[in-house]
Amino acid sequence: MTTLFFATDVHGSDICWSKFLNAGKFYGADKLILGGDMTGKAVIPFVHQGGKNYRITLLEQVFDATNEEELADLVKRVRSRGYYPYMTTPDEIAELEKNPERVSKIFLAEVLKVVQQWMDLADKKLEGTDLKVYCSPGNDDMDEVDAIVRSSKRVLLVEGQVIQLDAHHEMISSGWSNRTPWDTHREEDEDQLKVRYEAMTSQLKNPRNAIFNIHVPPYKSNLDEAPELDKNLRPVLAGNSMKPVGSTALRQSIEKVQPLLGLHGHIHEGRGTSRIGKTLCINPGSMYEQGTLLGTIVRLGKNKIEDYVLTSG
Amino acid sequence: MSDLFVRKATGLVRSWSVMDAFVYALFSINLITLGLYSFSQMYYFEGGMVNALIVSALFIFFEVVVYAALISVMPRSGGDYVWQSRILGGAVGFILAVTGWWFILWLWVPLYGDMFRHIVLVPILGVLGAKDAALWFAGTQTGAFTASMITLVIVSIFITLGMKTYARIQKFSFYGGMVGLLIVIVLLLTGSPAAFKAGLESNATSMFGAAPGVYDATVKLGTDAGAILPFSGGSLAAVFLVIPYLVFFNLWPNWGATLYGEVRGATDFKRNVAGMGWALGVTTLLAIVFLFAIKKTIGWDFYVQAGGAWWNYAWGYTPNAPALPVWPYPALLAAFLTTNKLVQLVVVVLMSLWWFGWSGTVFLSSTRVIFAAAFDRLLPEKVAEINERTGTPVNALLLMVVPSIVVAYLFAYNIASFQTLTLCSTLVIAVTFLGTTISAIVLPYTKPDLYKASPIAKYNVLGIPLITVAGVIFGGFLIYLLYEWIIDPNALYGIGLKNTSSIIYMLANYVLAAIIYFGFKAYRKSKGIDLNKVQAEIPVE
Repeated sequence: MTTLFFATDVHGSDICWSKFLNAGKFYGADKLILGGDMTGKAVIPFVHQGGKNYRITLLEQVFDATNEEELADLVKRVRSRGYYPYMTTPDEIAELEKNPERVSKIFLAEVLKVVQQWMDLADKKLEGTDLKVYCSPGNDDMDEVDAIVRSSKRVLLVEGQVIQLDAHHEMISSGWSNRTPWDTHREEDEDQLKVRYEAMTSQLKNPRNAIFNIHVPPYKSNLDEAPELDKNLRPVLAGNSMKPVGSTALRQSIEKVQPLLGLHGHIHEGRGTSRIGKTLCINPGSMYEQGTLLGTIVRLGKNKIEDYVLTSG
Repeated sequence: MSDLFVRKATGLVRSWSVMDAFVYALFSINLITLGLYSFSQMYYFEGGMVNALIVSALFIFFEVVVYAALISVMPRSGGDYVWQSRILGGAVGFILAVTGWWFILWLWVPLYGDMFRHIVLVPILGVLGAKDAALWFAGTQTGAFTASMITLVIVSIFITLGMKTYARIQKFSFYGGMVGLLIVIVLLLTGSPAAFKAGLESNATSMFGAAPGVYDATVKLGTDAGAILPFSGGSLAAVFLVIPYLVFFNLWPNWGATLYGEVRGATDFKRNVAGMGWALGVTTLLAIVFLFAIKKTIGWDFYVQAGGAWWNYAWGYTPNAPALPVWPYPALLAAFLTTNKLVQLVVVVLMSLWWFGWSGTVFLSSTRVIFAAAFDRLLPEKVAEINERTGTPVNALLLMVVPSIVVAYLFAYNIASFQTLTLCSTLVIAVTFLGTTISAIVLPYTKPDLYKASPIAKYNVLGIPLITVAGVIFGGFLIYLLYEWIIDPNALYGIGLKNTSSIIYMLANYVLAAIIYFGFKAYRKSKGIDLNKVQAEIPVE
């Protein structure tokens, strides 16, 4: 029997990444699968105020550090939410205000720096174990992330691949999503997603025993309910109106292939499980900004799922 | 955080409209359904209604702060269940969540049904001339039970339609209901006591077959019932004794809290406080204005006496049936001020929207808790299944509907004095809120890293975290309420230790929850899944 642990949407949280790497031992899992969206969403400028003084604005609150200890504490707070601290000066901030392109470059550099740190940590922590991490960056992850993941010994980039997870189960993976209102790095139209999925499913030797590690959840699976937004990206009706935003192409593929298991993420609010025909679909959700690693443990039998549970670590 | 340093990424939404949050919170502390229903039952209290409304709102504002703060620290988490589970442990979280958000809602169904017949069915049927049908619903046990069954059908349809559609129904109901309320208040403020008395005599006899002299007979029956509730004034002690009954109406602004979206910062905390806080304030003000309008034209004493006459008979304290054979619904009484049938119909139909825009909440929260428990493997996977054709959570719905039918039957036919359990509906949820409040009080100390990196980290009062201060005040308020309900030294609330049925019913809820929790935990363990471990925090180092 194979026990897999799946988590997703850690969005730059150091705490969640460390927990993920420890999850194999903690839960007794043989396989670690990381869904997409490993990178964070915001850079927090630490503005030098002279001497050892820095000022930051975190979640619309101003914090001051007056010594190295306080600075380290603030950096830890920022990283715990998956944001990237950036040491800067008032002059540079003024310049960046006029030059958003430079901000993008800083953003990318900070993201890649942390991804490299994460790969180094994975190689170190998983050394001497049989554990490897199967990873397919998600729609929020820049293309440049892939090269860094490829350089890792313990984290395997499996985007677009069919891999033999164990003797009985193959796994297909993709971090690409259907279109979002944010025009992110890896999103495309449903017909293109269909082609992407077919390219993998056509290679499956035993489709009914396969695992679909697909970042976006299937449409109308109850794992894809997100607040309805207006054209200004404002939740309508105070967020009380939820609508399905998953992929129709993925749903069709699952209905057709009927794999054993679907592992999804993307919609952080969509924590839950759902059946599409015989396929068990799971979205463990994400609470990365609280440093809580949501995940799922699935015990795979020869031709069935022995058991599963959602975790909150 | 400056937008300059936030990239475009999935889920980064703008803040929701405070007005929308206000609408849902305002509907949760529903003046027309919960408010008027409970006000009419409070005829025997000695503390002033206006004073009690204001004092209770001051305390409940701290509930708003507690919930807005928790949402800011732990958004998108599923509310009370997750907050309590993470801070107080899985057993406490599960037991308090399923009792407060699921089991006790079975008792709310006949209460929703009772309000449905009094606020929707009877007034509309009466105005339409269907006297016999109106009286059947108003005055018979089978009518009450049937109203509960219709309620179940309606709220099940709301569940089937889904939250996206129901949120729109709620918004439409808000505007329609507000127009109705405005008309009612205008009718009352422009009417006179003499016109009301004449209108009552005329309409109550023609519409519902009341005997002539209905006004005076109601005054007598109400006086005999001990109707003394003052409009305002009373000692502070007397006012405080009103509050445990009054919170049946206004303890719920947190139901309108917005749990979704990625919190952008302290502004979102303030927006949630504003949405819920304004709803609490505006509803309190509306209640005072409405009661003032009632006082001006219907007459405060008559309003209280009519409530006394109705409930004294309904609760079995007197064999004398009320002279007005329908519940004294102020909107209907206001409609008696006009002889225009169309205006009367418009008034009662628009006012019925207060019920339709609110009633769906009885099952929406319950289905969420059932799903969350199933995902945590504390219930069978089957209960979280969605019917692919209709998109309806059929099994979760059955877990609500079937027990609700049993409880509604017991309530309608008053078996084992079930009609005395009304305030149990509030008590059990208050216990759940107390669990959440304790979680809020200790959060900065038990989860310091989480708290310090949250949008409310800098909100302090004399160096103590605001969430803790607000929690202590609201927690103290809840403990006072629980003391009055359970010990009930003045025999005012009809539940608690003085009412064996209520204690058995409430304990049965908690015992059932504990059996499910520990039973499933043991079962999962036998299958190799340690639920303690799957909820435990993974070491970081």
